[in-house]
Amino acid sequence: MPVESAVPLVPAVVDLPFREGYVRSIIFVSLYVSVTAVALSTLFSLPVAMIMGFADFRGKQFVKSIINTGMGFPSVVVGLLVLFTVSNQGPMGALELIFTREAMIMSQFVLATPPITAITLAAITGVNENVRDAAHVLGGTRLDVALVVIKEARYGIATAILAGFGRAISEVGSVLIVGGNIVSSGGISKTRTLTTAIQLEARQGQYDTAMVLGTVLVALVLTVNAIVVRLGDEGAMR
Amino acid sequence: MPIQRRQFIAAVGGGALASIAGCSGSDGSSSGGGSAGVAGETLTLTTTTSTYDTGLLDEIHGDFEEMYGVTVDAVAQGTGAALESARNGDSDVVMVHARGLEDEFMRNGYGINRRDLMFNDFVIVGPEDDPAGIQGMSSATDALTTIAEAEAAFVSRGDNSGTHTKELNLWDAAGTEPSGDWYQETGTGMGEALNIANQQGAYTLSDRGTYISQRSEIDLTILVQGPIEGGPEILANPYGIMAVNPGVHDNANYDLAMAYIGWITSPGAQDAISSYQMNGEQLFFPEAVSEDPNFQQYVPEGWSSDSSSE
Amino acid sequence: MVRLSNVSHAFDDETIVENLSLSIDPGEVVAIIGPSGVGKTTVLRILALFLEPNGGSITLDGKDVWSISEEQRLRLRRRIGMVFQEASLFDATVERNVEYGLRVRESWRDRLRDELWSVLGSNGTPGAVTEALELVGLSEKVGQEARSLSGGEAQRVSFARALAYEPEYLLLDEPTSDLDPRNTALIEEAVGEARDRGIGIGIATHDMHQAERIADRVAVILGEGVAEVGSAEQVFENPTDERTAKFVSGELVY
Repeated sequence: MPVESAVPLVPAVVDLPFREGYVRSIIFVSLYVSVTAVALSTLFSLPVAMIMGFADFRGKQFVKSIINTGMGFPSVVVGLLVLFTVSNQGPMGALELIFTREAMIMSQFVLATPPITAITLAAITGVNENVRDAAHVLGGTRLDVALVVIKEARYGIATAILAGFGRAISEVGSVLIVGGNIVSSGGISKTRTLTTAIQLEARQGQYDTAMVLGTVLVALVLTVNAIVVRLGDEGAMR
Repeated sequence: MPIQRRQFIAAVGGGALASIAGCSGSDGSSSGGGSAGVAGETLTLTTTTSTYDTGLLDEIHGDFEEMYGVTVDAVAQGTGAALESARNGDSDVVMVHARGLEDEFMRNGYGINRRDLMFNDFVIVGPEDDPAGIQGMSSATDALTTIAEAEAAFVSRGDNSGTHTKELNLWDAAGTEPSGDWYQETGTGMGEALNIANQQGAYTLSDRGTYISQRSEIDLTILVQGPIEGGPEILANPYGIMAVNPGVHDNANYDLAMAYIGWITSPGAQDAISSYQMNGEQLFFPEAVSEDPNFQQYVPEGWSSDSSSE
Repeated sequence: MVRLSNVSHAFDDETIVENLSLSIDPGEVVAIIGPSGVGKTTVLRILALFLEPNGGSITLDGKDVWSISEEQRLRLRRRIGMVFQEASLFDATVERNVEYGLRVRESWRDRLRDELWSVLGSNGTPGAVTEALELVGLSEKVGQEARSLSGGEAQRVSFARALAYEPEYLLLDEPTSDLDPRNTALIEEAVGEARDRGIGIGIATHDMHQAERIADRVAVILGEGVAEVGSAEQVFENPTDERTAKFVSGELVY
């Protein structure tokens, strides 16, 4: 990943009391979990938003209110719910997902989906109906028309994805609960993210170190945002 | 044609999800050593935050991992959560320092094969000017009573951790119930609690390990010593280790848990524990290896064969 | 030939058309005229096979359009193009707009390949796109962003977009209402070109003079289901209904 390879610069700039590769590994876990969760969430949210935007079905209002509630849903409660699900005692216990990255992806998926869906829905319904009609009339199947709408709404959808990513990568409580903040004895992160590492340092009262990790996290988020916005600008300036 | 496309997309999405789920389980166990049977497996150990934060486990686990060719996932959760995870079968072995809770765990059948592991102690720390005047007291309970009477600021963990449990036991033994603005429950980890006490010039009960690691950054001093430095026994902090009962959770990795317990109570590992230092001081005192083993370590405290049955 | 036979349609309780019979042959221009709001768009949508009328039938080359499967109907629909009053271009280049109709008609394998090629930038412009743009006089704008075009240019691109995949029939819903005379003339020229190529054209307009200029046959929709259909000559010079006469002479019927 392009961002990950820029990270070796970090220890050089700041003197961190960590073993070689520790910071790199927690950045990797953060990105791996959040990017995967957001990607899966986008694959799920796009069709859902399309259906919400263009179809009428019973319970549509209900789904809308679930999405809106989901936007503000306390993330740590999501963590608890995922914990109950993947715990050995829970319905998915047999899959042994407790304390794994996959469980973390699950909880971030649940958190990222409402904002991605809601903002995508707004972007899609903002597409002029005439454009949709035109795509239809020119011989497009329903799928063709959907693709046209998605392309028309692409900037709004990018915003949605960024919003979901922001929510996912800033997550602390739920990934802590279901992931366990595990690092191998060699100092390589298994389920520790930047956020849970910060929490660990803060718990120990090591606020300076926590702050440095916090800066790394902010820099990461800003970089991702900048990349996406830049791609968008290039598109607009064509 | 549109229907085919939709099915195609659904299949790809489902496959992606399934393949990601299939990627769980042990990754990256070290090669080498490799006793038959457990090699390549992962042991999940839940323990308290203060234990984990000393760095001891990260230091010594490498030896065990190499010896057996396995991976140890140490999850720092806090006493209550560590036991709860073990109770649910989400971990294979649990290491805490709260004898009362360990006993309950054993009585209820969730944990077996308990061993005494090591001990350190608690200390009562506070501001150098010692407003309540407890410096050097030989009774921890008297010190707390004095603090309560002087209504001097006191920071409590308030989180049912091992430290908090000890603190509550002390108040209980002192016959004093702490209440009032001077008594603050923070619900944070030990390091943070020390910081808060530092900022407010308050007293607090801390495990020696965390205090040592924080010492350079705070202005609190030890006012009542723990038994390691000659203070009262009541401030002792013994650690125990238990395996999750495979009779309750048949997918608990019992073989590996027993290998771990065997290893960590062996002379080699116990030596490594006593050599572990933080800021130049020894943090833990091993007690597993003994010419004269304490039989009470295997059963809930106070159990005798005359008392009730299996 | 696409033919409406005794078609009636009503929205809620309001009758839009009643017993309308109308046909469009390849190579002719049929103007559908009448005051704004009278139902011309509805008639076009029925002709475009998008709206199923309450009564009557529609046949395309003899096949009843609404008694076959949706899939078969889609195939028929694809032989018809439509241009609206608003250009409604996609947020993309002119080229991507105009080639859309071609793309959706490709097999998905070909389409995937073409999409990949255009992402990699190594695609040439399809011949049909170039031709269609030439017809409306906008060849040089092929790489420009559609949203940056003027209103008239956008409408012309919209026309090219409908023409690129060589439909058999083309329906235009008041295509020049918002345009200046020059662009209007360009569109009308393109309509003539298309007609000469054998495309059957239906054009809805409230501009009688436009109808006089370009139509071979005329359907006058007067409201309340009344219509008069005939050759341009006949309708303009010898209307059978007096309301037609009034409309044609410039008096509003209402």
